[in-house]
Amino acid sequence: MADETSAAAGTSTETGAGTESNLRTTKPGTKRLFLTVSVLISFLVGAPFLLKSTEIHRSPLPSAAISSLSDHLHSNPPSFPCHFQAIFLSPFKPSDSSLSLSVAERIRAQLSAQSCGNCNFTVSVTVDSGSSCRHEGDAASAACLWECGGGGLVDAIEGRDDQGIDELLLSAVNERTGGCAGRVYSVFVMEGRDERVVIGKHRHAWMVLKDLDDSTSVGSMIGTVFGDYFMRGGVEKGEYIPVGSDGNVVLSFSLLNSNPSDWIYDWDFQRTGEVLLAPVLEALAPVANITMESQVLYHAPKSSISYWDEKLEAYVVNTRDLPFFVNSNEWHLDTSLSASGRSKVLQFVVYVPSASECPLYIRTPEGEISKTNAFISPMWGGVAIWNPHGCSMQSQGIHLVRDVLPPQELEKIIEIFIGQLRILFGLNSNYVEPSPTFKFLASEKGFTNWELDLLYRQHTCFNLLSSLSTLQSLSTLVESLPRMIVMDEIGKQVELSLEAANLAERNISLGINNASALSSIRARALAEDAFFHPSIMSISYSSMEHYFAIYMPFFAPVSLHVLLAAVKEVKRYFAERSKYLAFRASKLKSS
Amino acid sequence: MASHTFLSLLLFYLYSFHLLRPIYCSFGSNGFETTSVPKEEEFSEELLLKPLPDYKVLAHFHFTSTSPPSSSNGKHHHLFPKSIAQLVKKYKIRELELSFTQGRWNYDRWGASDPLSTANGKPPGVELWALFDIPTKEEIDATWRNLTHSLSGLFCASINFLESSTSYSAPLWGFLPNNGDLRYGALPREAVCTENLTPWLKLLPCRDKAGIASLLDRPSIYRGHYHSQRLKLRSDGLNGIVIEQTLSVVLQPIDRTSWSMHQLFKKSLTGKCALAKSSKVFLEIEGNLVSQNENILELVGEADMVTNDQRDHSTIYQYNVERYSEHEALDIRVNWKKLLQVSFLQAPLHASRFLMGSGNERGSIAISLQSARNSTKGLYDNSKNCFTRVVIFQVVPWYVKVYYHTLRIYVDGAIRDAKDVVEKINVAPSEDKVSPGTLEMMLQFPCGMMSAALTLDFDKGFLHIDEYPPDANQGFDIPSALVSFPDFISRRIYPDSISSPLLQSYKGRNIVKSYTEVLLVPLTTPDFSMPYNVITFTCTVLALYFGSMVNVLRRRVSEEERLAKSKDKRKPGLIPLLISKISNKVRGIKEDSANQSQSSQPILGPKVVFKVVLIALIAVLGHYIFNSS
Repeated sequence: MADETSAAAGTSTETGAGTESNLRTTKPGTKRLFLTVSVLISFLVGAPFLLKSTEIHRSPLPSAAISSLSDHLHSNPPSFPCHFQAIFLSPFKPSDSSLSLSVAERIRAQLSAQSCGNCNFTVSVTVDSGSSCRHEGDAASAACLWECGGGGLVDAIEGRDDQGIDELLLSAVNERTGGCAGRVYSVFVMEGRDERVVIGKHRHAWMVLKDLDDSTSVGSMIGTVFGDYFMRGGVEKGEYIPVGSDGNVVLSFSLLNSNPSDWIYDWDFQRTGEVLLAPVLEALAPVANITMESQVLYHAPKSSISYWDEKLEAYVVNTRDLPFFVNSNEWHLDTSLSASGRSKVLQFVVYVPSASECPLYIRTPEGEISKTNAFISPMWGGVAIWNPHGCSMQSQGIHLVRDVLPPQELEKIIEIFIGQLRILFGLNSNYVEPSPTFKFLASEKGFTNWELDLLYRQHTCFNLLSSLSTLQSLSTLVESLPRMIVMDEIGKQVELSLEAANLAERNISLGINNASALSSIRARALAEDAFFHPSIMSISYSSMEHYFAIYMPFFAPVSLHVLLAAVKEVKRYFAERSKYLAFRASKLKSS
Repeated sequence: MASHTFLSLLLFYLYSFHLLRPIYCSFGSNGFETTSVPKEEEFSEELLLKPLPDYKVLAHFHFTSTSPPSSSNGKHHHLFPKSIAQLVKKYKIRELELSFTQGRWNYDRWGASDPLSTANGKPPGVELWALFDIPTKEEIDATWRNLTHSLSGLFCASINFLESSTSYSAPLWGFLPNNGDLRYGALPREAVCTENLTPWLKLLPCRDKAGIASLLDRPSIYRGHYHSQRLKLRSDGLNGIVIEQTLSVVLQPIDRTSWSMHQLFKKSLTGKCALAKSSKVFLEIEGNLVSQNENILELVGEADMVTNDQRDHSTIYQYNVERYSEHEALDIRVNWKKLLQVSFLQAPLHASRFLMGSGNERGSIAISLQSARNSTKGLYDNSKNCFTRVVIFQVVPWYVKVYYHTLRIYVDGAIRDAKDVVEKINVAPSEDKVSPGTLEMMLQFPCGMMSAALTLDFDKGFLHIDEYPPDANQGFDIPSALVSFPDFISRRIYPDSISSPLLQSYKGRNIVKSYTEVLLVPLTTPDFSMPYNVITFTCTVLALYFGSMVNVLRRRVSEEERLAKSKDKRKPGLIPLLISKISNKVRGIKEDSANQSQSSQPILGPKVVFKVVLIALIAVLGHYIFNSS
């Protein structure tokens, strides 16, 4: 009340003097000032609490760790320790270490060409002929060195065929490299009249050379075998590996009868196919867990157009029409129900043309007929066309034919499919020899051991990189949507995935292959689980607009009042205080 | 060479199968024939046409695929759909039935106790039940959930809504006697259309490219009065997997007295599916026409075989599709010479269900059973010891909270003590947001009874705002109840000369049953914008209160009054002056010129005009720029 009267007193002077009046006898009161400012301050203090209480639950993602690991992997792709050894079974007198250097140089030339599944290699050269035994280069460990005393091998090789030599050398390698028999790649070099290079089914090759004196050319030859084949498999780039993120692959084989009113073919896939494919699946087991299934479908015409070719006396499909061959409307190939989760389904289709388009061949751009009469579609599968025998002779409208695909024909088709599977996995279906002296031994399993190692390395590396790219896209997505809910489960999965990726990376550098493959698969599966988490899919985030729509009706008018009141009060307080100070000053002056 | 021996073996095998069949048939039960186990996958297609008493025509497509029991099930298949075999294997299904139905089977007019209507009358929408070969209850529930998702993917339907435990139940004996491994769910509102038919056809080896399924002209079959598409499968170690795919449509021919297949389907049947073991079309006429003089109807198209069932309830004309080709299509034409007087078999009691009460708070469900004795006189006598048993199975969603103690049973209009009538009852009350209420009840009525009624009171529950469907105001559907009569068996035995999986299935002991109507319960629907309204209203009120409180605390009334007084002496503000000017103009009062010259000068001065023009210009420019961009 005292304040009020003092203010009245203050203003009474003001009324008299108009706007110029600046005299006030009492100190301006602070009660209203205190009140309005405290309300304002309480609002400001309360704001963080409000923001906290209305916060969207977001599990923190270790985005810094993700990006650092991903940067690390991009600048420094994981490389697997491999040991290459060259064993000279014939006398060889290198002047210095030039041989192992030129081998290493040749391999290094290949390293830059490829980014994933590289080898962090060591090279050693051993001369083991008769009495002399010399080691050169660096071995991973002493146990991995070739134990001398294989001089008898040269004689044993004489008179054997390639398969025999391969087996002989395998046993020799197993015997003489002891502990690291499964991790060492060897090339046996010997002197002889017929020059040839044979790459075996396991992890070794042998070469017979006329002249061992030129250490640079010998070195580059050995380096080619190591670098081009054992390390890279002669492929340009194996980027996509058709394996589901949970490590499962389903091979779905379908026999398509284009028009069952002409003829109907059935197959005994269970008996023929399973027997032929079982070793392949067994061989691929470390890379992927493969299951297979088969079905026969009817009324499944192709969707591209074929033309009658007079010269070839057959209907042909040009390679440029192949993208339209697969008729997704009529080919109900179906994704398999047994392919649980995120398994990959690879379709392998045998197409039996109808009478109106038989025989049907694929014409290459050069105008020739495709040898296999088959094609692949990356990440989808392969198609092989099978023409029934004598179909061109049969006139239309004859009696219905119901037959079984002859087993030997089915075997041929399955061989084609194995080749297609190799291509789908990023290998060559068969190797083109760089020179007539080169020879590759094909494994009855479809994949040789060194190819499997290669797939294994690539798969591990690919999994690792893809898990990190998934994690990174997830973290960018989460960052770009600031009001998106991120469940704890996702955070946990991301953390576990990152942990597994780190573990895989460490295991790769340590050379623990099994553990690195397992943890890389785990990293990828967890990353995909996090990315495709249902709560993310149903992007239930409450937008900023929503937030404002709820809080505006209260805070907009209230904050207007509070702010204006505070501003007015502060202004008035300072104005009044200056008047009071002026009054004091005049008083002092007058006194 | 190998194929020759194989063929001869197959022939021998088929022959032996033929010889053995009568013996095996006697073991048949429940609609499926326990035939000798075939070694190969087989497929057969059939179509049964049946004129209905109201001059409509029932077309019943029946496709059977069998897969022998083998370890390769789900992996290697020739004719049998791989996806179904995988489904059976993955979810360990013993029996499953999935039906998509549009419209309601008219039990009064189309028959209620013949095998065709008891087996094929299905409730509107989707009905799914499955029997699992899994020991524990939790595992069965988990498998059911996965199964619903797989099926909804396979059939492009929202079967996955049956996943939640509020939508399925586990009846013990009311639906089908079982050991607790049965799960039953229904979606009464599911719309059925071609997107469900296409995946269903995909399971047939010839799809609709050839054979009987090629008759399925979409506009014709969806124009029908009733449309029910069904998949029934049964799997066991002995017989392998058997799937029955049926499609029943009730069509209205343009001409009542004369119709043909081509008129009905707008397509002609030019041959069988090359993969089918047998391909047959049947025409079934209720009543024994063979023994009578054939003056009622005239058939165009010669049947391969005409036969009666054992009790002479119906006459079957059989046509083998193999005989027909592109040049000579199969087209059965039926001309009625006399107006049709087909007697058909009614169910012993006609069941219907309806809602009573009004308002959004409570109501009651009533099931009324009317005796159909005038048409089936022979079944009843008025003796005291004769009873008819009736089983009622009903699933009610949790938001319809049924009070089972309010069960009242009226027999011939008089209320009866439940103890006298109910023979067996099993109630699983609903649990809010957890499980639906299931009622299984076996009743005994005296044979002479004319009508009976059951009523159950219920309260309507409240749903959470998220639980309402998009069209909440339409109301909620309660799935059909099933009323079955365990004492009445519908079966028809045809001579063994007809080998047909469809007619074989008639031999089974099918219990007469009928589905009641779907009930539509309106629930209180909230105003879905209410939360926002509440927020904005309360916020506004609070803001007003808060603002005025702040002002009251802050204002100095006396000082402001003084200030106002001093301000009055100065020139009035712009806006009050403008208002007073406008009001004066409106009232037509001419202000004195002195006042006008004093005040109008600053208002309509060139400065103000310039400002207004500038703002208008900016607005026009802004509009132009925004529109052009």
